[in-house]
Amino acid sequence: MEQLKTIGRELAMSSQGGFGQSKEFLDLIKSIGETRSKAEEDRIVLREIDTLKARLSSPNTPKFKLKEYLMRLIYVEMLGHDASFGYIHAVKMTHDESLSLKRTGYLAVTLFLNEDHDLIILIVNTIQKDLRSDNYLVVCAALNAVCRLINEETIPAVLPQVVELLGHQKEAVRKKAVMALHRFYQRAPGSVSHLISNFRKRLCDNDPGVMAATLCPLFDLITIDVNSYKDLAVSFVNILKQIAERRLPKSYDYHQMPAPFIQIKLLKILSLLGNGDKKSSEQMYTILGDIMRKCDADSNIGNAVLYECICCVSSIHPNPKLLESAADTISKFLKSDSHNLKYLGIDALGRLIRISPEIAEQHQLAVIDCLEDPDDTLKRKTFDLLYKMTKSSNVEVIVDRMIDYMISINDHHYRTEIASRCVELAEQFAPSNQWFIQTMNKVFEHAGDLVNTKVAHNLMRLIAEGFGEDDDTADSQLRSSAVESYLRIIGEPKLPSTFLQVICWVLGEYGTADGKYSASYITGKLCDVAEAHSTDDTVKAYAVTALLKIYSFEITAGRKVDTLPECQSLIEELLASNSTDLQQRAYELQAVICLDAHAVENIMPMDANCEDIEIDNNLSFLGAYVQESLEKGAQPYIPEDGRSELSNISNFRSQDHESSTHALRFEAYELPKSSVPPKVPSVLSSSAELVPIPQPSYVAEVHQPATSALKVSGSGSSELKLRLDGVQKKWGRPAFSSTTPSPSSSDNFGSNNGTTQHESISSTKLKVHDVSYDSRKQQPEVSSEKKKLAASLFGGASKSDRKQSYSGQKVSKTNSHAADKSNITEATSSSDIAAVKATSQPPPDLLDLGEPTVTSSAPSVDPFKQLEGLLDLTQDTTNLSSSEVSMPNAPDLMSIYADMSSSSQSTTVAPPPNVTKTHLAKQPSKGPNVQEFLEKDALVRQVGVTPSGQNPNLFKDLLG
Amino acid sequence: MGIRFILMVNKQGQTRLAQYYEYLTLEERRALEGEIVRKCLARTEQQCSFVEHRNYKIVYRRYASLFFLVGVDNEENELAILEFIHLLVETMDRHFGNVCELDIMFHLEKAHFMLEEMVMNGCIVETSKANILSPIQLMDKAS
Repeated sequence: MEQLKTIGRELAMSSQGGFGQSKEFLDLIKSIGETRSKAEEDRIVLREIDTLKARLSSPNTPKFKLKEYLMRLIYVEMLGHDASFGYIHAVKMTHDESLSLKRTGYLAVTLFLNEDHDLIILIVNTIQKDLRSDNYLVVCAALNAVCRLINEETIPAVLPQVVELLGHQKEAVRKKAVMALHRFYQRAPGSVSHLISNFRKRLCDNDPGVMAATLCPLFDLITIDVNSYKDLAVSFVNILKQIAERRLPKSYDYHQMPAPFIQIKLLKILSLLGNGDKKSSEQMYTILGDIMRKCDADSNIGNAVLYECICCVSSIHPNPKLLESAADTISKFLKSDSHNLKYLGIDALGRLIRISPEIAEQHQLAVIDCLEDPDDTLKRKTFDLLYKMTKSSNVEVIVDRMIDYMISINDHHYRTEIASRCVELAEQFAPSNQWFIQTMNKVFEHAGDLVNTKVAHNLMRLIAEGFGEDDDTADSQLRSSAVESYLRIIGEPKLPSTFLQVICWVLGEYGTADGKYSASYITGKLCDVAEAHSTDDTVKAYAVTALLKIYSFEITAGRKVDTLPECQSLIEELLASNSTDLQQRAYELQAVICLDAHAVENIMPMDANCEDIEIDNNLSFLGAYVQESLEKGAQPYIPEDGRSELSNISNFRSQDHESSTHALRFEAYELPKSSVPPKVPSVLSSSAELVPIPQPSYVAEVHQPATSALKVSGSGSSELKLRLDGVQKKWGRPAFSSTTPSPSSSDNFGSNNGTTQHESISSTKLKVHDVSYDSRKQQPEVSSEKKKLAASLFGGASKSDRKQSYSGQKVSKTNSHAADKSNITEATSSSDIAAVKATSQPPPDLLDLGEPTVTSSAPSVDPFKQLEGLLDLTQDTTNLSSSEVSMPNAPDLMSIYADMSSSSQSTTVAPPPNVTKTHLAKQPSKGPNVQEFLEKDALVRQVGVTPSGQNPNLFKDLLG
Repeated sequence: MGIRFILMVNKQGQTRLAQYYEYLTLEERRALEGEIVRKCLARTEQQCSFVEHRNYKIVYRRYASLFFLVGVDNEENELAILEFIHLLVETMDRHFGNVCELDIMFHLEKAHFMLEEMVMNGCIVETSKANILSPIQLMDKAS
């Protein structure tokens, strides 16, 4: 049937032929259309190239034919063959009088040439002429070409005319002139900086098309410099309002939506203008709410606008009401069957959790579904989301998942990205060093060549420094486990070079440290590595230096060194290596082995890679030597910056001096500059063989371990230290058990246990709820595995989590009546808890029945975070207005935002009564938990009054 | 810059229209088109209409035998681009009347002219079908 239709169409076409298309052209297109293989297509195109070359070179080609040839040239290029032989004809055709030929010529030129092509210079003149044309279509064609072909140098040639055209009577011309100016701005912002005000002017153009086009350059400008355009916020809001009220011509409607593409552009601009700006944001709330309400959620375009609204809402100063409808929309997206909507939902969720992290929890199962979806796009988006919501409590699960995924894909680009994300998350949130090392091992094993080498150095440093505390046993355990894991891995084929470097370094430093492995075992392994990677000089260098260390430690310990035959042969091979670096290392190794224990200990102290090395920048120890040389008549040293002046002023007697050029002279003084620490000279003198080998090469080189190991120049290790300081701090988060809790918090731990026990009891009850909820969703049964995953991703106290998500959804679905009901059940259960917790001071009824809400949002927060939260709370009690809801359950990271939202709520936007109601209705549905008690405890202690913010009425009574 | 390129490719992976808003060499184009088309053709109907490729995001939509692929950068509203494709198809439909692959092949320049009206500098500048088509109709009349 389809075939028939095609044939019919072809017949119609060929009979039409009236578009000036020859039989030849139609045949060509037909044959291209009928090809079944690339090879066949290539054959046709190659033949066509020959034909065209012949035709185009003949002098008497009629013009209408030329147009067709040009189209055939476009085909040639489009199908991947070079058509540069015909470019000049395209250029020529732009000169043509006929509009249709001219425009085709411009089209071909824009498709063929980039803006730096030599032929452009031939077109500029034509463009100039056409910009002055009376026919506005010609002007438009020329402006199209301006947008594509004018580069920085040619801008001045057309700029005055383009600016003039901004006031052209035809809206199409004004629109294209705006875009041409936009192009100039993109190419060379400086060239049009004095014309920027034109964009503002065109924003008020009578024609909606011109106005819409102006949004493009304004968006770019606002992205770069928000503050200069704050005044336009009102105008944009007004425009958006007019569009929403359908004041634009009907022709801009798309699927019953008024000018949706313009709306989206405006929303993008508003989200920039409102970002972190409360005043501007407030102007937008009404219109945003209107649009979100009016949007048709059944059409794609309606959802596209809704999505853009969410992006905007989560970017501007938060407004609870808008955030709520954004959250509703997100849950609609996530529940949809369409993958496209799910994708947008996940993305929007990632944006919104920055402001209200608690909404992630109610969608946890949907998120996990997306994570396990076979659709790669959806999966990646979900990983993006997980990346954004990683915290120390879920980092293990997330990073493990990421690594698994990384192993499973081939896409180089994405592997690199995900590897660096794993590293970043691991460095930021790692719960233990052990885990960190294991994770890094995995990353290195599978993507070692994709990650930054700095990461490897971080890892080495971590193993060397351990916790950075006095806990030596933990450190040595860490090292032993690292050594062990590396010995396990080392035999595997195809390990990335970076990883091998780490392995060699660790084995060299700590391979024999705990006495579990003999020196000969470790050295044997190292030799194997060097042998297996004989082409990789860096790995070999690391291996040799590691050998050197092992032998030194043996000598220092007074044991006799037996060099394995394979080591011997390796050293001999390297002594003759092409790489001077390897040679040097081999010679050093040979030299060190022959020394006595005392000397070796000085050269290669045990476990000293983290020690600071004092660097004598003034090289004072060389003073005597310099003095001596000066006395012998040597030239005094002139600092580098002083040299050029000297040689300029007078012809500085450099001829007879060996340091005639800067470079040479510089080197002469560079050698001693290698910052030999003061204590070393004695060693050096005792081991004279070592001295001749100049150190500077090390200083400059990348092989950090060697540097720090040799202990002669310390720059390497000090560099490392700088890099890692941030990481170390983040790492410093004390483990739960290892710290000494303050008296008050230890109190809380007691009650903590009580509640957890209780929770586990009540959880059996909750299971029932879960099932009923799930069945309502027509999802037969959520596998326990998934639940487990959800729990680990979204927080430790999974049971209470699920309870929340369940009741939260219920409230949003049903009316407040249902909420009341759940309130009752909650109340009973919470009174139970109150009974359990009766030990604490405040009267239980005040505590729990009144406001079982509070911070259920971040159940996974560790006790220290909770304490921090307490501080916030006490500071903010005065701020809390009667309707305040969001503040107490804003978790750790968001406390700043919470502050802001609380103040905004109390001072500015008074939400309509029904909103407050829903808030309140939602509140009770959230389960009581540990943190709540913690906070109340502290409140009671610090404020002296019974709770405040969470119990608005009580608060009022007390203060009012 | 939002839109980086627009491609029309048929089921067999043959390019029917290509418009790039940034300069790529012929070889780069050929490689990119090959990779993208392979990726998109392998996907099922139920899967997202969005694919990540290198640093592009590809939004694609299929009409009978023809795929429309739009490469955008990260900050673009994917669903809106998907609808932009449909707007393009609707516009072509209005001009050609029940547009098909062959219409585009025989009138490649017209398809390009429409795109020239709709997209400039990688931004969507015109979405009114009347405004998009009027220059083309005027030109037809003149010739």
